[in-house]
Amino acid sequence: MTRKLRCSAAALGVAVALALTGCSGSDGSTEAPANSSGLEKTTIKVGALPIPDPVSLYIAKAKGYFEAEGLTVEPVQITGGAAALPQIESGALDISMTNYVSTFAAVEQGKKIKLVADMYQAGPNMFNIMVPKDSPIKTVADLKGKTIFVNNLHNVATLAVETQLKVAGLTADDVKFAEKPFPEMGNAVNSGQADACWITEPFITANQSAFGFRTLADTMTGQTEELPIAGWMATEEWTKKYPKTLAAFNRAISKAQQAASSDRKEIEKMLPTYTKIDAKTASVITLGTYPSELNANRLQKVADLMLEYGYLKNSIDVKSVIATPLSG
Amino acid sequence: MIGARLLRGAAGAAGLLVIGELVLRFGVGDDVVFPAPSTILYEAALLLVDADFLEGLGTTLANWALGMLIAIGIAVPLGVLLGALPPVERAIRPVLEFMRPIPSVAIIPLAILLIPVDELMKVSVIVYASLWPILLNTLYGMHDVDPVAKESLRSFGFGPLAVLVRVSLPSAAPFVATGVRIAAGIGLILAVSAELLAGGTAGIGVYVIQAGSGNRMDLMMAATFWAGMLGVIANLVLLAGERRMFHWHRMRTGAQES
Repeated sequence: MTRKLRCSAAALGVAVALALTGCSGSDGSTEAPANSSGLEKTTIKVGALPIPDPVSLYIAKAKGYFEAEGLTVEPVQITGGAAALPQIESGALDISMTNYVSTFAAVEQGKKIKLVADMYQAGPNMFNIMVPKDSPIKTVADLKGKTIFVNNLHNVATLAVETQLKVAGLTADDVKFAEKPFPEMGNAVNSGQADACWITEPFITANQSAFGFRTLADTMTGQTEELPIAGWMATEEWTKKYPKTLAAFNRAISKAQQAASSDRKEIEKMLPTYTKIDAKTASVITLGTYPSELNANRLQKVADLMLEYGYLKNSIDVKSVIATPLSG
Repeated sequence: MIGARLLRGAAGAAGLLVIGELVLRFGVGDDVVFPAPSTILYEAALLLVDADFLEGLGTTLANWALGMLIAIGIAVPLGVLLGALPPVERAIRPVLEFMRPIPSVAIIPLAILLIPVDELMKVSVIVYASLWPILLNTLYGMHDVDPVAKESLRSFGFGPLAVLVRVSLPSAAPFVATGVRIAAGIGLILAVSAELLAGGTAGIGVYVIQAGSGNRMDLMMAATFWAGMLGVIANLVLLAGERRMFHWHRMRTGAQES
């Protein structure tokens, strides 16, 4: 008797849970088969971080490039590639920004994701190892036995630092990496939690002016010169289901990337609208470059570096990770 | 008397702010950059006219309220049902005791993976976390019903349903209200945590991430200040509601004015 009741109560619980999640079956996204533009899906949710990298998403939206393609894009703020991946897998996002190191690592783990467009490529002094102004560390070789802050372990941060260590005759085993969010790095280095930090804009500028931090090394030099940093990704299934939507997204983004590359003012104007970087800071921070097409040869460098430094076990042919463009 | 208590509370809070201000301005030196309380309060005031933040505040509040309503809608009937049927409760108890201590924040990554609609995901984790305090308090309330009152009604020939409606439910109601008040605090934590972990189009947590990425610690703290104020206000409102509706309960149990 007790057991039976318990079962029915459990069944009730399951039913309630199903009813709660069941509502999710058909969300509000538009999937009009017949519209003027011929797109499979006209409203898409695109995930991006509130940083300078995905500026073209907001340029394309502000300048009406998406609209011209018959596409309504809803930007969604994400918290990082690690959280965005399950969100494109679940369908909460159609497309999301990602960093290439995370993407290739996920591909090796068997995730069915495709790169759909390029976004951001490293330039000089964009990702620097910084130390306090009176630090005894004068060269990269002095980092031996020291602790370095990175925003994420085993990602582009540590990879970039390792390429610089190699030049100085060191390996990752000679230093200690510790994780710390960018906004907290300056205070934490000053309180002695680490000796150096790998940091990007707007925090390079901020730590320079607040504490007089000096740059020990630009990690985007040598092997990592002009390293592709971030791009747009979708699931393989999504790219197959919505090829025309994807092509429309690509055309608009590519146009916006060109606008960003040709006029820095476009970027400076847009940054305060979707980040908390104000116009004054936007005008002084160092920015990377915004390639307008996804180039497999350029991206291959990221995968090859990952293999060399043990971030990948097997080599990845980057061509297989890039979504095949719609012919015609 | 309430005025004096309020005054002492305000003096305590003000004292803490002044100490914080002094320590941050003169105590920590140039090696640490952290916004002083005056800066945070100033930015917090400015946020009230910031359209982005207000949209976020509205979104977080809406998710929170919806989550609480659903949690109450599930937990109260379930608690009453279990309380009225002790054998069922004994059977389900182990499951409850197992599920309850799981830190609700830990289920957010799972929810992100399983629930494709952002708002639904956020509301679901709020519901999950708020469920337990309401359910358990309802159960305690059902156990606390005066057996003599129940027996009296029975001996006058009232059926089980009448006993439930006339004695058990009114008697358990103050406990349910306490459960709701505790759940409100937990629900707010989840509402903001889900935004911090999953992002979104708007929300207090979304605003905090944006401020952090732009190196605006002052805005992060100001937004966090309002998240805290929401919790304080909700607690006060619910507490006042409890006092008003269930003053007879405090008289019966002899609880002191607290």
